Amino acid sequence: MSWEDAWQPVIDAVGRDFGEGEVIEGADAVDASALRRFLEPLELDCPLHHDADVAREHGYSGVVAPFSSYFTFVAPPVWRPGGPSAFVSDERNALPEGIAARRFATGLEPPCSGYFAADFELELFEPVVLGDRLSRTGLRLVKCTPKETSVGRGAFMTWEWEVRNQRSELVACFRNTMYLYNPG
Amino acid sequence: MDWSAQRRWEDVKEGDDVPAVSFPLTVYRLVVEAGANRDFNAIHHNSEVARASGAPEMYANTGFLLGMWERAIREFAGLDGAVRRISGFRMRRFNTVGQTVVVRGTVAAKRREGDEALVDLELWSEVGGEVTVGPGTVTVALPERRA
Repeated sequence: MSWEDAWQPVIDAVGRDFGEGEVIEGADAVDASALRRFLEPLELDCPLHHDADVAREHGYSGVVAPFSSYFTFVAPPVWRPGGPSAFVSDERNALPEGIAARRFATGLEPPCSGYFAADFELELFEPVVLGDRLSRTGLRLVKCTPKETSVGRGAFMTWEWEVRNQRSELVACFRNTMYLYNPG
Repeated sequence: MDWSAQRRWEDVKEGDDVPAVSFPLTVYRLVVEAGANRDFNAIHHNSEVARASGAPEMYANTGFLLGMWERAIREFAGLDGAVRRISGFRMRRFNTVGQTVVVRGTVAAKRREGDEALVDLELWSEVGGEVTVGPGTVTVALPERRA
């Protein structure tokens, strides 16, 4: 079997929603401290993102979250109170336990040690403001293309998913492509 | 940045430049970014892991690169502009530590859709004159003078 053939089960699963109805809540609500830290490395000083009066003058109900922060506010926690320990290894580059399950994957892929995001599309609907809590729903596999690249052999996998707020209002639709691969 | 100035749909013409924004990438900045957007994949802050993955060095993560576009868009569109859609945000090359990412763009089209006055921006990121992200299309709603 060729390395490309190993991806056939994933190709056969194109069209399936691997979200299976699960709503994945972000670890944190949109709060002022997180927004301040988000703006810092970008040096994004737009007052909509830090000044409630300006945000209201421009028609928003409060300080607005940058759309590029939505990934952050749908990210699940690395560890949660009462949960199992995440940091169980002192190997220098070890990942926390359970982190692999957070990746975009079907479970049908051949083993891959590397992955990175390759492409994004997004459509924006409702704005996100301070105090909102975001969740991710849906995880439809829409494309799988095995390919050898400069970093290794793997496949580009394209997914569609949605972000909703605590009122179940649609905030954004995302379509992203990940490259899962083995370096070499 | 003077946020009191608002660009209006009538002010914009096809071919206009989107003002460039530069982002020098240091280890410090990449680590601050990882903490801020919680993308802790080690390829973005650990040279050893990044190199083992086939990348030349640790490199900027997706949220950071998208945030760079957002800043460039917001500085163009002002407080009353609103992003509707982004497509073609394709990360073609690694944006690694020790490089400066520059986001540039042009106005590709002006149009109306329903009640909205829209502009389509062609946006891209480059390092040393080579495109690293995009070019993509960003659709922005702008206010009109008569509004």
